[in-house]
Amino acid sequence: MSELERVMHIEDDPSIREVARIALEVVGGFIVKSCSSGQEGLDALKQFTPDLILLDVMMPGMDGPQTLAHLRTLPETDNIPVVFMTAKVQPSEVAEYQRLGAAMVITKPFDPMTLPDQIRAIWRDWHGQD
Amino acid sequence: MDKTELLRSQLLVLAESFRQRLETDIPALSDLARSLPATTEAPIEPLRLLRDSLHKLAGSAGTFGYPTLGNKARELEQTARQCLDQRSWDDACRQRLIDGIDELKTMQKAGHSAQGPNPQMAQASVQPSSALRIFILDDDPQSALRVAQTLESFGYVVVTFATAAKLTPALEHDRPDALVLDVSPGTAGHGLLESIQRLQATWNQPLPLIAVSDQESFDIQLSAVRAGAQGFFIKPLDLAALENRLERCFNSFQSEPFRVLVVDDDIDLAQRFEAVLSSADMRVETVSDPRLLLQHMDVFMPDVILMDVNMPDYSGPELAQMIRMNDNWLRVPIVYLSAETDVARQMAALLKAGDDFITKPISDSVLITTVYSRAQRARLVSQALARDSLTGLLKHADIKEQVELEIERARRTKLPVSIAMIDIDHFKQVNDSHGHGVGDNVIRALANLLRQRLRKGDRLGRYGGEEFVAVLPNCNAEDAKTILDDIRAAFNALYFSGSNGAFQCSFSAGVSACQALGWEASGLLERADASLYQAKAQGRNRIVLADSGSDIP
Repeated sequence: MSELERVMHIEDDPSIREVARIALEVVGGFIVKSCSSGQEGLDALKQFTPDLILLDVMMPGMDGPQTLAHLRTLPETDNIPVVFMTAKVQPSEVAEYQRLGAAMVITKPFDPMTLPDQIRAIWRDWHGQD
Repeated sequence: MDKTELLRSQLLVLAESFRQRLETDIPALSDLARSLPATTEAPIEPLRLLRDSLHKLAGSAGTFGYPTLGNKARELEQTARQCLDQRSWDDACRQRLIDGIDELKTMQKAGHSAQGPNPQMAQASVQPSSALRIFILDDDPQSALRVAQTLESFGYVVVTFATAAKLTPALEHDRPDALVLDVSPGTAGHGLLESIQRLQATWNQPLPLIAVSDQESFDIQLSAVRAGAQGFFIKPLDLAALENRLERCFNSFQSEPFRVLVVDDDIDLAQRFEAVLSSADMRVETVSDPRLLLQHMDVFMPDVILMDVNMPDYSGPELAQMIRMNDNWLRVPIVYLSAETDVARQMAALLKAGDDFITKPISDSVLITTVYSRAQRARLVSQALARDSLTGLLKHADIKEQVELEIERARRTKLPVSIAMIDIDHFKQVNDSHGHGVGDNVIRALANLLRQRLRKGDRLGRYGGEEFVAVLPNCNAEDAKTILDDIRAAFNALYFSGSNGAFQCSFSAGVSACQALGWEASGLLERADASLYQAKAQGRNRIVLADSGSDIP
């Protein structure tokens, strides 16, 4: 397994997009592609070839679960963990998102300082490494 | 400049633009709330917009150094959500939203803390299951400390108040998830009961209140009930019982949504059912190919099945009989949907299998009510059947079944699963020296602690007398060991009241896993059991990992 390098972040809120981009680039040292909608993410997918996708749950138009469903129809996303981000939800909703195929759910507000480590851990878990 | 400083300075810049954004966003929210009509019909679309905007704000404000504002936004989001879900709308709801958003305005004007966004702040909120906050007011500082320590070891966040004067504003502005209040005559808490009663009336969900007292008088209990008490405990407190009651208060608020499986070949109709039931907060899935029905059920675990009677090639009663051939699905109610109005033929279908009929055309409210009541009843019954009466955990056979299910899932999804076998140390001595009642308290306390500390998706069962099994999906053996070791330390720190003073308990556990690279799935329970035996042999109060049984170094 290679290291986590390329992260796609799909989020409609510009402030959150920016904070996450800086955290992931500066602290995490990742190559980041920020997208403002599910469609933009789908369009950019082939070219950017992310290792992992961070996906906001609530977006106008195509929301997180719908975007995930679209992603899962594309064969090239088979090996890409998709991580949901959402404001504090009921544990049952978290379980539901995981059932839909989310690798993990990160609760907002997130800590920009630890976000990169969090997704690195999720990445390792997904690939079955200790 | 190191990374932390670089990030911090960049965050400051972003926080400034977020502050500017709030200056337009919050007045916009306020306008939106004020534009909501004061009709009796809930204004669905604008309310949704308001709910979604508040949800966004709840998610972002904390990251930019406005945690209080974020929390308030979350509370308002829930208010809006409730109005939507229950379709209940009146001037009071409207006013509550308007007032709440005005509060947001005040919080925004007051500005956030001077240090700006705080990268440490969100530490606690990254946990998938959020910690519940409990306020305590007790005239006896010793007793307050003991309650606080116990509840903290159960994973709650506890804030202790010294005086009523400090508690009251905190209740109003920073509502906790529960309040433990000393209401003994002459105490500050006793004097607060009336104002708490008034406060309760202003909240749309009551605040769980646990009253503790040094006297068991009728009058005190009555005023506690009037203030919304859901538990009443006499000092010296039985802390396990108190925790158990709190647990029950919380469970009634966060039960999982009902799952409904729709079996109908008419896709349009199925989508409509899906929309109607989803609007009542149920999870719905549709099977249009009946050949996949049983597989679908295994994955989705429905609470209720809605079944079309007439489908090409198959009839509803035929499929219902197939479902009933499986013991596991006996408890799931099957509701037929049909244009059949001939009562005799309806009865004939019900005699074969199935529980109820809804006749097409179907009104939304009949559909929701029928499915809801059936689902609720089915949940209660299956809980009563599958749950151990002392602990509320799964019974032996059911947890064994969960173990098999989760191992199968792990092999399919290539996500690890860990199994832990947990046994209370020297439990017989507890029973012998303190009696079975105290022993039961210890068992219940461990059950509650495990439930608190494990994730909602984890499975937990009472395997034998003082033996428990936990199934942790998507968790490798090392992580499972770490998690259990934390729980072990917390359990070890609990004090139980026994016949001759306080005493402590410990447990041992063995952990096995089905994980990379071997994905060895056979004998996981046996391996966990063997490790538990080793943990006991090595001196108890410890967690031992099983050999992976594969080629992991």
